[in-house]
Order: sequence, then structure tokens, then C-alpha cells
Amino acid sequence: MASRAASTSNAQSWFLHRITGTFLIFMLITHFWVQHYDQQTATISHDVLSTEQIENDVLPGYTPEAEAAVEARFGETAEVTPYDVVMLRLADPVYAVLWKAFNILFLIVALHHGFYGLNNVMSDYIRNPMARKTAKVLSWSLALVLLVVGMYSVLVAGW
Amino acid sequence: MAVDTIDQPAKPAASQDSRFQRYRVRTGMFAWMAHRLSGVALVAYLVVHVWGLRALTDRASFNELIAGYHAPIFKIGEFLLLAAVVYHALNGLRIVLIDFLGWSPNQKRLFWSLGAVAAVLIGVGGYPTIYSLVEYFFLAA
Repeated sequence: MASRAASTSNAQSWFLHRITGTFLIFMLITHFWVQHYDQQTATISHDVLSTEQIENDVLPGYTPEAEAAVEARFGETAEVTPYDVVMLRLADPVYAVLWKAFNILFLIVALHHGFYGLNNVMSDYIRNPMARKTAKVLSWSLALVLLVVGMYSVLVAGW
Repeated sequence: MAVDTIDQPAKPAASQDSRFQRYRVRTGMFAWMAHRLSGVALVAYLVVHVWGLRALTDRASFNELIAGYHAPIFKIGEFLLLAAVVYHALNGLRIVLIDFLGWSPNQKRLFWSLGAVAAVLIGVGGYPTIYSLVEYFFLAA
């Protein structure tokens, strides 16, 4: 049943999976660096908050560098919340455009790699052709929804 | 996947008494299973992550989301996420190198060497998370 066109497409997908995977390594390193290790702009801090603290609207704390940068950009009275730290990055128009472009590309590559891989796994365990087709359609629909939602979030953030 | 490590002759297939095949787990099989499991886990994480970041468009809900992600359970999850990412990335890189460069190195040694690199990356990268968790659970005044 495997037509020539289908097997060509499978080979291309197999090849693409390796290309996207290699790309993802570099993109993930960039993503991790920005989110976790830059003293000024890391959105994820190491604070662990108890349920009680979260209920009382306690927010994770940031480095003195991040606080100073937020205050320098948004004024002495600016609150240093996770949202403001992200906005600090997006306040620079050049960085904002680069960040948006990078994240849209990252989103597309990650979704393709993830959902292609998931479909590989599913087609190994789902034997019924109809069920396999259904799983394929449902999973790629979810990927499409995430692509639209994710692109919207990235584009609208800070504007 | 080109990760077969045959060091003993295959035994005749045992009679299958359930719908699941019984496998002999050796290095190559372990690498493949762990790649699969971490891959599926990462897709699940990706869905939650992208869906959650809808909050990026609103200050209050974004702060609420991020505060929630600092709960102990998510901090533990963050460490597990790092472990899954590092393993999947390095094992994936191994697969790409073998598939594209036609490498036929000593498979087992390559796998365990990359395993050592992974352990270092997970240890160094995960240290702040583990430290803050230990502090939270055991050292909090």
C-alpha cells in the first residue's frame, strides 16, 4: 500500500525530524539562557513558594540586577514582578522583534518535532488503521491550535 | 534506529502469552525506550507550556501563573524536565551523528560517554533547583 509518493514523504519527514532536532538543541540553549541564567532578564527565579504564599499573592523574588534594571526602565516606583521582567526585555524594540521572530520559529520547529515524534510513537502502538488515522488527525489539530495560540501570545505580548 | 548492540546470540523467540512482546532490555533498547518516554513527556510539557503562556498578554494572570510554577511540585518537575531534555537532546544528537555521518563507533561506549556528559549537565544545571528545594524542605527556619 505504500506508494512511491508516500515513501518519499516519509523519508523527507524522517530527514526533517533530524534537522529540527539538531536545530532545537541550539534554540533550547538560547531559550534556557534567556529564561534562567541572565541575571537581569531571567524570568524563572529559584524561589520555592508554599501554597500559602501563592494564595497570598507572594511573587518569586529577583536578583538585584533585575530589580535595578526594571526600576531604571520603568521608574523608581515600578514593581518588580515576573511580568515586568519580561516587559523589560520587550521594551527594547530591536530585542522585542528578535525575540518574537525567534519564539515563533522556535514554536514551529518544536511543535513539528514533537508532534511528528508523537505520531511515530502512536503509529507503533495503534494497529487499527482507522484509529491510527483518527489519532493522527487529532494530534495535528492540537498542534495547529497550539501554533495559533502560541503565535498570538508571542505577537501580542508587550504591545 | 542504529543503536543495536549485539553481544550475545539472539535467543529463540519465547511464546507470547500476552499482547505485549517481552523484550530483553540491553543498552540499545534502553536508549531507545528512554528516548521514547522522554520524548512523549516533552510533548506533554510542550502542550502545557504553550497553552499556559496565553497568560503572557495579561499582567495579573501572568504573575499568577509564574507564582504557581514556583510551587515545590513544579520545581521538582523543573528538574525532571531538565533531565528529560538533556537526555533526549544528547541521545538525539548521537542518533543524528550515527545516521548522517555513518559513524559506527563502539556503540556502548559512545552511549555511556554521552551518559556521563548528560549526568554532568543535569547536575550542574539542576543544582540551583535542587539546592532551593532542599532549602525549602529541610533548612527553612
